[in-house]
Amino acid sequence: MAEEQNQNITNNSEELDRCQQEREEYLNNWKKERADFLNYKKDEVKRLEEFVRFANEAVILEVIEVIDDLERATKEVKNEGLDQVLKKFQDLLKRYGVERIEVKDAFDPLLHEAVTTEILAPEQSTVRGTAQNESENVGEKEEKLEEVRAGYTMHGQVIRPTRIKIIK
Amino acid sequence: MSKILGIDLGTTNSAMAIVEVGQPRILENKEGMRTTPSVAAIGKNGERYVGVTAKRQAVTNPKDTIFSAKRLIGRRFSDTEVQHDKKLLPYEIKEGPNNGIDIKMADKWYRPAEISAMVLQKLKNDAEDRLGEKITEAIITVPAYFDDAQRKATKDAGEIAGLNVKRVINEPTAAALAYGLDKKKDEKIVVYDFGGGTFDISVLEIGDDTIEVKSTGGDTHLGGDDIDQKIISYFVEEFKKESGVDIAKDQLALQRLKDAAEKAKHELSSTLQTEVNVPFLTADTSGAKHFNISFSRAKLEELVGDLINKSIELTKKTVDESGFKLSDINEVVMVGGQTRMPLIVEGVKKLFGKEPHKDINPDEVVALGAAIQGGIMQGEIRDVLLLDVTPLSLGIETLGGVLTKMIEKNTTVPTSKTQTFSTAADNQPAVEIHVLQGERAMAHDNKTLGKFILDGIPPAPRGVPQVEVSFDIDANGILNVKAKDKATNKEQSVRIEGSSGLTDEEKKRMTADAEKFAAEDVKKKEAVEIKNLGETLIYTTEKMVKENGAPDAPAGAGKIKEEDKEELKVKSEKLKEELKGDNLEEIKKATEELSKAAQRVGGELYKQSPPSPGATAGEAGEPKQEPQPNPENEIPEEDPHK
Repeated sequence: MAEEQNQNITNNSEELDRCQQEREEYLNNWKKERADFLNYKKDEVKRLEEFVRFANEAVILEVIEVIDDLERATKEVKNEGLDQVLKKFQDLLKRYGVERIEVKDAFDPLLHEAVTTEILAPEQSTVRGTAQNESENVGEKEEKLEEVRAGYTMHGQVIRPTRIKIIK
Repeated sequence: MSKILGIDLGTTNSAMAIVEVGQPRILENKEGMRTTPSVAAIGKNGERYVGVTAKRQAVTNPKDTIFSAKRLIGRRFSDTEVQHDKKLLPYEIKEGPNNGIDIKMADKWYRPAEISAMVLQKLKNDAEDRLGEKITEAIITVPAYFDDAQRKATKDAGEIAGLNVKRVINEPTAAALAYGLDKKKDEKIVVYDFGGGTFDISVLEIGDDTIEVKSTGGDTHLGGDDIDQKIISYFVEEFKKESGVDIAKDQLALQRLKDAAEKAKHELSSTLQTEVNVPFLTADTSGAKHFNISFSRAKLEELVGDLINKSIELTKKTVDESGFKLSDINEVVMVGGQTRMPLIVEGVKKLFGKEPHKDINPDEVVALGAAIQGGIMQGEIRDVLLLDVTPLSLGIETLGGVLTKMIEKNTTVPTSKTQTFSTAADNQPAVEIHVLQGERAMAHDNKTLGKFILDGIPPAPRGVPQVEVSFDIDANGILNVKAKDKATNKEQSVRIEGSSGLTDEEKKRMTADAEKFAAEDVKKKEAVEIKNLGETLIYTTEKMVKENGAPDAPAGAGKIKEEDKEELKVKSEKLKEELKGDNLEEIKKATEELSKAAQRVGGELYKQSPPSPGATAGEAGEPKQEPQPNPENEIPEEDPHK
């Protein structure tokens, strides 16, 4: 009788241990799932903010292509009206946080994309370096950058790099 | 526990993904792009560039810009492929230690694994920036045909980049994982991978716990770039025919044509015809020259048909080599951006006689699969916690026999939704909750799951009582629908077991019916809405006349002139008459006429009414806001179709 009771106690205790383990496991999984969900929600808010900021990017890029053509047209045909249309487009871009990338002296792959290199005949090019450092830069020609397609940033991020022709 | 990064280290582009809340997600790089060019360079200023910045400066620095390192990784210098590629690569390579390869970049020699490590390190750093946590572990994918040395070198690259590479898995296996095909035991799968620069075909067999590669094939120099090149050449020819100017050597004009070719190719994946318009492409003595042609999908297919046929032939050959017949193949998975092209999809479909899997972005599917492998290893993806979704929408019938959806199809369960409805007639004592399942607009075209009546609603005008209906589906798919009258707290409910227990046939039929009858259903629903609107307008007009025109009208109410009353009556009668028939145009016309008259009379009433006690001096009083009838939210007493 006592043996049977002891056996029952052992069985019940084992069952309790198993249930407790299972409970722990389920509770932990549930906590993890909740934590994952809350973190996901936080990340989603950040992603949504980013998405809203750049929601117009695809349309802006298409508009920029039209502006490219308009710029080419104004170079070919001098017309005040056309210039005004172009200015209106440029103002529109500014309102949406889109800025044209200025092309400065040095090529910068963060802002520029090189599409071709033109090597000028020696008499056309200038040679960099002064008398003091000539030995270090023998024959190294100074590079000039020519913008072949304008680049733009949106809220400070490059959405289209400036296409550059490098003239050596 | 930090996340395991899944990396698709591609020949041209790489992508990375992680598992979040049990689902894989692509991580964008620092530049905000979902793929990163597999390019590294040392600039003229001695600075190291990796990814898009390296690619941007490639033209000006070809000797020190290293791309396609994957073609060299883990290979021996004497390999035929290496000797072939050596002629095509603009950078210098030489034989390194142990018959390996050394690549020259800015006066220093690197192993291909070191170059790949630069790409991996950028991915690692960008992922850390995105996630705000350290990434130390990764799963990297390689082509199925990679030998041990190539796999080892890829793993080394990961380790050089500071990643503990938990596993190197096959790209086709990752793609199959992304589609969940690993769970389909004993199936044979073909993965058709048409990338930017390479074409790979793999035949896999799913075993109990393994995915075995049965054969691999393809062409390491066939890809989307070849297709682009064919289009550009065609454009150059067309331009020459039209303008007489050859721009084949004009880099700047070619670049613009390349942009136009890529854009046209993308557009022709979804449309049959596109306009290619490149103004001011070049100029000669006669002035500016523009390029403008109409480019059709048929023309594109004619131009690149031989390349696609080649890929289909290679696919057949690879399946043959696996020992299987084409008819043995259970699933086909599409990988690589080029597989968006309808001609490719059609070719593959015709070859295997089945629709290939192409729902997941083909540029991202391998990285997503790698992330899933990481998720499985980390226990992030638990098979025991597979949550079901509702196969079809669930809802109730509302005024006019319309199905008002409460839970949309494909909602993950368990879930619950509560919405407040009202009555469709004055002093309606009960509402019948008719629970339906399906996608059709009209209630009677859907499947009835159950019905019950909530009675004892105190007498009140139409639209005033508030009946809260809640749908609750538990994890076992058991649906509980409860309706409660908020005034009396009286409630009734029904428990429906097996609400998602439709057979596959039933689900397919119901979904197909919904698509087939979509246009017809919209018309029917519109007809009901037009009639409901007419009836609601008659109701509100009569109510207005009763409250403001009767001798016993409440104090403070405005007074409607007799001639206005008569006009409203005539127009209401006319609308009632039209509502008996089915001429929607006439109903709309009569509704509009009554609406105009009612608005005019209503406007006059507002002018007559005194300011409300709470309103500040000079502010017009607002009439008391009573709940207005809304047919979509009204439940009739009983089903009119009974």
